[in-house]
Amino acid sequence: MSASTALNLGSLCSSVVNLPTHYSHKPSLLLHGTQSQQFLTLPNTVLKGFSGSRNMKSAVAAVDSSDPAEKQETERKKYYFLVANAKFMLDEEEHFQEQLFERLRLFGERDKEQDFWLVIEPKFLDKFPNITKRLKRPAVALVSTNGPWITFMKLRLDRVLQESFEADSTEEALACTPVNLEFEKPEKWTAPYPKYESGWWEPFLPPGSQTSKV
Amino acid sequence: MSSATTSQAAAEKGSKASTKKGIKETLLTPRFYTTDFDEMTDFEEMEPLFNTDQAEFEALLQEFKTDYNQTHFVRNKEFKEAADKMQGALREIFVEFLERSCTAEFSGFLLYKELGRRLKKTNPVVAEIFSLMSRDEARHAGFLNKGLSDFNLALDLGFLTKARKYTFFKPKFIFYATYLSEKIGYWRYITIYRHLKANPEFQCYPIFKYFENWCQDENRHGDFFSALLKAQPQFLNDWKAKLWSRFFCLSVYVTMYLNDWQRTAFYEGIGLNTKEFDMHVIIETNRTTARIFPAVLDVENPEFKRKLDRMVEINQKILAVGETDDIPLVKNFKRIPLIAALASELLAAYLMKPIESGSVDFAEFEPQLVY
Repeated sequence: MSASTALNLGSLCSSVVNLPTHYSHKPSLLLHGTQSQQFLTLPNTVLKGFSGSRNMKSAVAAVDSSDPAEKQETERKKYYFLVANAKFMLDEEEHFQEQLFERLRLFGERDKEQDFWLVIEPKFLDKFPNITKRLKRPAVALVSTNGPWITFMKLRLDRVLQESFEADSTEEALACTPVNLEFEKPEKWTAPYPKYESGWWEPFLPPGSQTSKV
Repeated sequence: MSSATTSQAAAEKGSKASTKKGIKETLLTPRFYTTDFDEMTDFEEMEPLFNTDQAEFEALLQEFKTDYNQTHFVRNKEFKEAADKMQGALREIFVEFLERSCTAEFSGFLLYKELGRRLKKTNPVVAEIFSLMSRDEARHAGFLNKGLSDFNLALDLGFLTKARKYTFFKPKFIFYATYLSEKIGYWRYITIYRHLKANPEFQCYPIFKYFENWCQDENRHGDFFSALLKAQPQFLNDWKAKLWSRFFCLSVYVTMYLNDWQRTAFYEGIGLNTKEFDMHVIIETNRTTARIFPAVLDVENPEFKRKLDRMVEINQKILAVGETDDIPLVKNFKRIPLIAALASELLAAYLMKPIESGSVDFAEFEPQLVY
């Protein structure tokens, strides 16, 4: 199963904690971070930049060749989301968990950058009073830059609210308020297998909001 | 299914040995479905059938094009090794499981391929989705057929295509029935997978390890039928729709329960309690189906299981009559009261108070819902 790969991904993401994810023209920021993790602050390489020197060289080359005075534009992107209460999103829909791991596995296989996240108590909900007035809290959102995929997930999950918004950066889009989540055991359990364990959602949380794995 | 009883003969002559015996059809044999393709392609009548909320279909098309399981169905030497270890009754029942599953997947392949072909002009997006679904089913059927070769057998799929009787369904019934069979397929496979993961001592044949990724295909297929139903609100919003929904739920659940009990040795062979397995699958499928069908059965009511168990007993008696040495006329006479009893249980189950359900997209009370 891809769980171990996903967890590795998660722990790598958590190491990006304090780095800005938007473009910067200042060369010094590119070499931020510890010696063991040679990641870059340029988007599109956040998850890829672990193979070390090769990427570092190309990043340095890119900086050298670009005009330092030229301002790199921030990318204003559209983020699509589905939202419902945390119990529904994280505790009741076991098939949902399977889908997310499947997608993460696929992205890994095809070397694609992750473009979907689970956000617990996202700050962007403040922009949607019509949603929050009919939302049990704590709430969890599935967020993606892939609009059609969110439409598909709405079809699958059904009992969720769907909306979209624009943001300047992934960090801004996925900003959230940390919440401790604990779910009660179900009253009735008819399956000949145990329930999936709590905490499965860690690999899908936005970079920086994951709890560190020892 | 009689096509695999003489394994030695089959090994010598390939699959031709199985065709000589013909195909034993019973009421519960996996069916090949067909539909009124002409009705489905009658442009004026059917074009609106596939024409609403294109966004959902475009999203589905993208999801199917993704092809999550493109590289997943790869065999290894574990298969033949495991098959060689299996002997006697367990071997026979495993072979039957592979056969029935292969036939079911293959019939899905045929139906979807044909629909994909016929709907190209009416709605190319929907047609392409059907073709991609047939890709999935072909993969599943092929993988199962290769599994049969571990037991020195193979289904002659070409022969089956020509020789099987096809059950005819009107298009809207295809939607209800296929939605249910895909979703129930998902729940069956994932339940077996997760049970064996928790109880690996019963993992007697490696094919079950593939079920987790495999069944996601089935789940997605069901989603497509969900979208087709949503594009046709008349299939979801009136009293007739509710009656049909309940009818198809009942047929699918009862067929599975009776079928699985007849093959209880298989489920017990992999460490499951057959009836508990089936009830779990029924309960979960019903819960999933409640997201789209306007009415579903109250399967968690203990009376529902009691009725199912009575149907099992009656069915066992009907089968026992078939095994006696009486002449066919006497057998039929003996069967009549039993069939009447079965019909009575079925009707009573159908008339049990249903659960109102459906997508939030169609719920009149949706503005009051809290998510």
